[in-house]
Formats: sequence, structure tokens, C-alpha cells
Amino acid sequence: MTGDSCHPSSTDASGSPQGLQAEPPLEDLRDILFGRYRRQIAELEAELDDLERRVTDQDALVAIIAPVLGDAIRRKIRDARDEMIEALYPVIGQAVVRAVSEAIRDLVRTMDARVRTSFSPRALWWRLRARLGGVSDAEIAIREALPFEVIEVFLIHRETGLLLQHVSREPEASPDSDLISGMLTAIRDFAQDTFGRGEEGELDEIQYGERCILLEAARHAYLAVVVDGVEPPGFRAEMRERVVEVEHAYEGVLRHYDGDATSLAPVEGSLRSLMTVAAPRELSRAQKLVLAGAVGFVVVCVAGAGLAGGWAWRTVRSTPTPVLVAIEPTSTSTVTPSPMPSATATIAPSPTPTLPPSPTNTPSPTPTFTPTPSPVIGLMTGSVWLHEGPSPESPRLGMILQRGQAVEILAVLGDWCRVRWAPETQVQIVGWVPLEWVGTTEAIPSRIITPTAGP
Amino acid sequence: MRTISKKICLLGDFAVGKTSLTRRFVYDLFSDKYISTIGVRVSRKTVAIPVGGDVVELTIMLWDLGGSEEFNLMRASYLRGAVGAVLVCDLTRPGTLDMIRTYADELLSVSPGAHFVLAANKCDLIDHQRLAQEHVESTAADVNAPYYYTSAKTGDEVETLFRHLGRLLIA
Repeated sequence: MTGDSCHPSSTDASGSPQGLQAEPPLEDLRDILFGRYRRQIAELEAELDDLERRVTDQDALVAIIAPVLGDAIRRKIRDARDEMIEALYPVIGQAVVRAVSEAIRDLVRTMDARVRTSFSPRALWWRLRARLGGVSDAEIAIREALPFEVIEVFLIHRETGLLLQHVSREPEASPDSDLISGMLTAIRDFAQDTFGRGEEGELDEIQYGERCILLEAARHAYLAVVVDGVEPPGFRAEMRERVVEVEHAYEGVLRHYDGDATSLAPVEGSLRSLMTVAAPRELSRAQKLVLAGAVGFVVVCVAGAGLAGGWAWRTVRSTPTPVLVAIEPTSTSTVTPSPMPSATATIAPSPTPTLPPSPTNTPSPTPTFTPTPSPVIGLMTGSVWLHEGPSPESPRLGMILQRGQAVEILAVLGDWCRVRWAPETQVQIVGWVPLEWVGTTEAIPSRIITPTAGP
Repeated sequence: MRTISKKICLLGDFAVGKTSLTRRFVYDLFSDKYISTIGVRVSRKTVAIPVGGDVVELTIMLWDLGGSEEFNLMRASYLRGAVGAVLVCDLTRPGTLDMIRTYADELLSVSPGAHFVLAANKCDLIDHQRLAQEHVESTAADVNAPYYYTSAKTGDEVETLFRHLGRLLIA
């Protein structure tokens, strides 16, 4: 019999005989038979209540799950990586793409705004390059903004790994260039033996963070160029050109290299030039031709405009000065008819009212005012030169009356009319223009028309 | 003064003391871990070698090759261009001397005319030596190399050995 079954409460504590009273013994019997299960049920109910409380209480639920969540995810990723990627990609992939796109758009917008608001020669050059290259200002600006710098250049003997020549921005910072060249060669050999067995091709780049080692090999030597940033287009071609030049110039030395690099000293200049071409390569040959053509065209246009302007200026300077006539107080004028127009336009003074002499004994006529005719106003219907006389052969006065200009018609002689024009300045300009270019709203009064000999 | 550089290799079985000899002799820039990762580590030692009335500054670029079998395939690449080698055996392991001829032939196949010196290493472990001097001498003669009893631990004859090889390379 177990201890449970021999529960102390089920024993008769008073020592009276059992079974004499019906209820208590039955209850005791129940307790003996089911008491254990009742207690277990009560404990389970309590646990269920507690569990229910924890599940419904979010904070409590998080506290339960959090400690194991990380481990669970790690284990799931380890056991079913593809499945996890598939499950998470729609969420994480889109989020990453969106974040990257937004970052790039922001960058482009910033660059674009900066380029558009900048009028420095450099910015203008970018714009020109962008137009020629068919890309946006911002893209060119971004490309220009990408940092690129050549840090070191190693010329290394391919077979031995011995350093042939080395140039650096900071020579004192590279005392171990010969060791580096040896290890670089070992790494190249390792890569070739491990991954390139039986295949063409070589290790041509080692990247670590922002820095990169670009490798370009010829038959007996190779170049290793340590750079920061992204190399511009054409830089590799430049490297290849340099190493091939060295190969051709020192083929004998390199083929049987004895470890003495003295004879290779002249190549330092060639290697150093790689540092100066580090700036992003300019335009392609075709683009340069187009650019040169455009610049040439502009130069020709400017030169042509200059020449034309000079000719026009000389022409203007050579023409007689327009006749300036002081404004007269009277508003009427008459033209003295003459068979031939005079060379100089003059205005005859019009009759003015005069006061009679002082009264005398002799009767005199009563003074009267003679009404003066109103001026005849015309409108220029074309822009024409002002001439001294009523003839196209007559010298120009160096002035063009513009279309729409109002003029006063002083006289008409044949197909020409003499006009007066008063600009803003307090002078009047008088000259002859073809009648056909002067319009009037009313018929020109006959008093100012000079008859000419008819046929 | 003339300045020249030469590439030499250290060849020998695993754990004969190649790296310890190198560490005794040279300036190290790179960690030993390169030997276990790509099978080689390059070190440098510059020595002045008198030649006639002149002195040559010789920079020895020392390629310490891993002795384990996993790098056997790469060894030929690493040997290319080497003009000499230090062949290393362990005086406490007779089998390491037997392989010396193989290593020498391997280098000669890619670099005919290469020079050798033999380092019978761990000479400080006197009680554990299991190689007779005659045997060492015979092997050295077989590969046409001078030999030295060296100890990377005490530095015995290490400098002498490398200088000897340097003279052979300059001559």
C-alpha cells in the first residue's frame, strides 16, 4: 500500500469503530478511492488557470517565448535555410529593395539639385559631358563623385615574385613592398593552381573593403595596382599598356632576370603616370571629336558675329551724322518749293503773329492772328533708312526709322517725303524717306506736296 | 654596392623545423597561418656578401613551403623561379632525411642549376638524435650541398647556413 493510499486523514482519529455511521465512512471511502485524483485534478485546474492567464496576458506570453525565439529561428535557419529564405524573402527582399531604391533616389535627387544649382566651370563641364554621353547630370555627378585613388603600383617579376619596381603615394609607408610582392605572387599562384587548373585566365583582382588590388599580367611581369574606390573606364587598358611597354622594352632583362633591378629604374616614370591618370577618364575619341566640332562651330560663329559687328560698326561710323535741329516753339512750317531739293534739310521759319507798331496818327489795320495748319502725322509702315535727300542715292543719315514710329510729314516730293521725328531727347531729326513706307489716315494736304514735272 | 634579390625556398617534411629556422633568421611580416592556408609564407633577409673586393647586398626572399601533403600539388608553382633552397631534415626522425633527395629533384626539375644547403635541424636534442653524421654527410653529398647541424631553438649555425647559401647564389 502506498503512502497515498494510507492517507493520515482517512484513518479514524477518535478510535471509534468504523462503519457504524453511514456518511462519514462513505466519504472516507470516497476519499480513499478518489482523493488522489481529486487533488491531481485540482492541481491541473490551477495550472490551466495559470496557463490561460499567461496566454491571455500578452506581456506574460512574450516573456515566455522571447528566451527561446532566437534559438528557434537559428535552428530553423540552420535546418531549413532555403525554406526560411523563401518564407522571408517576400518581406525582407521587398523591404531591402525599397530601402536601397529610396537611398539611391535620394542620392540622385541631391546630386541633381546640386548640379543644377551650381554654375561652376566643373558643373558646366559635367552637364556638357552628360549631354554628350546621353546620361543625366546627376549620373555624371555621381560618377565623378565616386572616389578613386591609386595608392601603390607594384611591378613584379612573374616567375620569381621579386619586386622589379614600386611607386607609392607615401614611399616611407611601404618598406615591405618586396614581401608584399612575394605574397601576392604566392596568392596568384595559389588561385591559379586551385581554381584555374586547366583553364585560361588569372586572378585579376583582389578586393577588400573599399580597397582593391588590380592585377594585370604580361609574359614575364605583372602589375599590381592598389586603388581606393572604383576604377574609371579605361584604367585597366592603361595598366595593360604600361606592363606591355615594360615587357617590350626589357624583354631580355625579364626573361633571364638575375635579381638586379637597376636596369629597370627608368620604368618608374611610366608607373607613376598611372597615378596621374587616376582621375576618371575623359571622353571617348568619338565624343571628343563631336565636342571639338561643337567648340569649333561656336568659335566660328563667335568670330563671324564679331566680324559682322565690326563691319556694321564701321558702316555706321562712316555714314554722316544725322541732322539735329533744335525744337522750335512754333508748330507750323512751310517748304520752299524748289525744282531741286537742297542738300541740307532746313526748316523755314513760319510766319508768326506780330504786334503792330505803336499807334500813330495814321490809321492802321487791326491786328489779326493767322491760324496755323495742324501738323500732318504719319506712321512708318516699314523700317527704313533716313536719307539726306529725296533719293536712294542720297547719303544716309545713319538712322533707321522703325516700323510703327510716328513721324511728322513736312513735305512730299515725288515718291519721297520729308519727315521729322522727335525722339526722347530734346532734339529733332529731319530727313527723307520713301513715301511708300509712310502711312497716313488722311490724305496728305496739297500745301506740303511739291509738284514735280509730269510726263 | 650592388643590390640584388633572389628567391629561395625551404624544403622538408612536416615539422622538421623549417618555419622555426625561418623565424630565427628573417624578418617576418606575415603570420605563420599563411603556411597552413595557402601553403607558403614569404619572408625576407638582407645580407651583405663580399664578392672579390666588392660587397653585394643580397636580399633573400625566403619562401617557406608547407611540408604537408595537401600542398604537394601547389609546390611546383611555388618553386618556380627559386634559385636555391635550404633542405631541412630532423635529426630525431631518420625518415625526414630520406626525402631530401626528392625535394632537391623537385626543385631541379623547375629550376635547373639551383643551389642547396642541407640543414640537419634540432641538433640541440642530443639525446633524441637518431641520424648518424655519415648518413647526413652522404645525403648532402648526394645533392651536392654543404650541410650544417642547426638548432632553431638555440640559433646554432642558422646564420652561417643562410650566408653560405647566399655566397653560392652570388658566385
